[in-house]
Amino acid sequence: MSQVQESIFGGDRSEKRLEKVPLRKAWDMCVQNLRNRRGRYMLVFISIAVVVSFFVITLTYQRMLTELRKNEDVHTRAVMQRAGLVLTDEDAAIKQRDRMIWLLILSGSLAFVGVTNTMYMSVTERYREIGTLKCLGALDGFVVQLFIIESVLIGLVGSTIGALLGFILTLLQVGMTLEFGLLGWRVVLVGFGAGVPAAILGGTVLTVLASIYPTVAAARMKPVDAMRVEV
Amino acid sequence: MAVTREIVRTHDVVKTYYMGTEEVHALQGVTTSISAGEYVSIMGPSGSGKSTFFNMVGGLDKPTSGEVYIDEVDVSQLDVYELAWLRCRKIGYIFQTFNLIPVMNAIENVSLPMVFAGKSSDECRDKAAELLKKVGLGDRLTHRPIEMSGGQQQRVAIARSLANDPAIILADEPTGNLDLKTGQEIIALLTQMKEEQGVTIITATHDHKMLAASDRVVWFTDGKVVRVQNREELNIQVGTIDGED
Ligand SMILES: Nc1ncnc2c1ncn2[C@@H]1O[C@H](COP(=O)(O)OP(=O)(O)O)[C@@H](O)[C@H]1O
Ligand SMILES: [Mg+2]
Repeated sequence: MSQVQESIFGGDRSEKRLEKVPLRKAWDMCVQNLRNRRGRYMLVFISIAVVVSFFVITLTYQRMLTELRKNEDVHTRAVMQRAGLVLTDEDAAIKQRDRMIWLLILSGSLAFVGVTNTMYMSVTERYREIGTLKCLGALDGFVVQLFIIESVLIGLVGSTIGALLGFILTLLQVGMTLEFGLLGWRVVLVGFGAGVPAAILGGTVLTVLASIYPTVAAARMKPVDAMRVEV
Repeated sequence: MAVTREIVRTHDVVKTYYMGTEEVHALQGVTTSISAGEYVSIMGPSGSGKSTFFNMVGGLDKPTSGEVYIDEVDVSQLDVYELAWLRCRKIGYIFQTFNLIPVMNAIENVSLPMVFAGKSSDECRDKAAELLKKVGLGDRLTHRPIEMSGGQQQRVAIARSLANDPAIILADEPTGNLDLKTGQEIIALLTQMKEEQGVTIITATHDHKMLAASDRVVWFTDGKVVRVQNREELNIQVGTIDGED
């Protein structure tokens, strides 16, 4: 079956360029990749979920207490009084707010460092893979696309798990320090609104942002250099 | 083949790496010519510039000076889309470390170049399965690299390199991580591909035992071509060298 290969660049030169791979293919590859890697990504999900849940707790807990304080009902007041959660004067309120801001900054930075570090590691450990993909004909844009879609999915799933987990923990915390009976739909909704959407959005955006830099850096490298990187 | 065609030609290729203030002269003016359908071995000690030469020929890196022509087209003149096309459709790469994607099974790995070439999923699957059967892995289609031996992984890599019916296969120390017997099987497989598909094979090695299949051997020392031998001269050489071992 010996055949003489035809000339590589002969004929129509305009056909001798690679077309962009459709977005649909990148999506398929991401889903396939996430499915295949789910064991390895467990840790990524957990670390994102943990920091996001911590952030949600700080966001929602105080907000729910504030909501409860508005309550004129005698029973609620008594329960809060017993738990030492009634603010006696202006001073205490300010102190309370300051503490809350510090906690937010703390948990926010924790989330930032945690998510950034996790994503940075998970992209850099795949430099060799990126180099290989480029050898096989992947365009820079495709590599970036692939990793961005992937980080959106990771961010969404991780942050959603974390946000819901954090919210449930907050409900438990309020219920246990005060009384589960106080968790009316209003308080629950206010708490949910104060933390969950923001944390999911923030966590996802952070996850994507954190992976953009290493991804673009890797995609722009010459394939040989990307393959040489040892992590 | 009636007419020999120069499929790879390099002219005075120089590659210098700069590491801080230190200069590493990896290639110091390499001029070679390789015909279509040839099996050429690049032979030389470790650090003699074989991999660097491969990277230039494969369009994975750019020379500091000099030109690389693939089929008489200067590689440095290609834009990114043309370069990607060349890597994807016309060159098959085989590495010492196999470089399979760890989370993908054999079929998925072999399909990759076809995905980039824009082929349909069905087409990819069928062709990948067919290639894997051809390299003797018909019963390992859904195995992950980690579930395979080194020799089997390199077979997957060979199947992957053939995915888009390339004109050239670049194999950089393909047997470097394999034992002698497995290494020889890999070489035999490459030879078979050359005969069946008429693909040009360029392979690097520092192991004399891997030379037997070569039509020609190009000897590298310190980034320079020091000797080129044809098959006929080789047989004697290999004998002597084996004797010296
Ligand atoms: N990216 C690089 N940066 C600096 N030096 C390099 C790089 N790649 C290769 N070299 C040097 O260039 C020389 C040739 O290397 P290489 O082409 O890998 O040789 P071989 O493949 O024959 O073992 C060696 O001295 C090596 O250390
Ligand atoms: Mg080498």
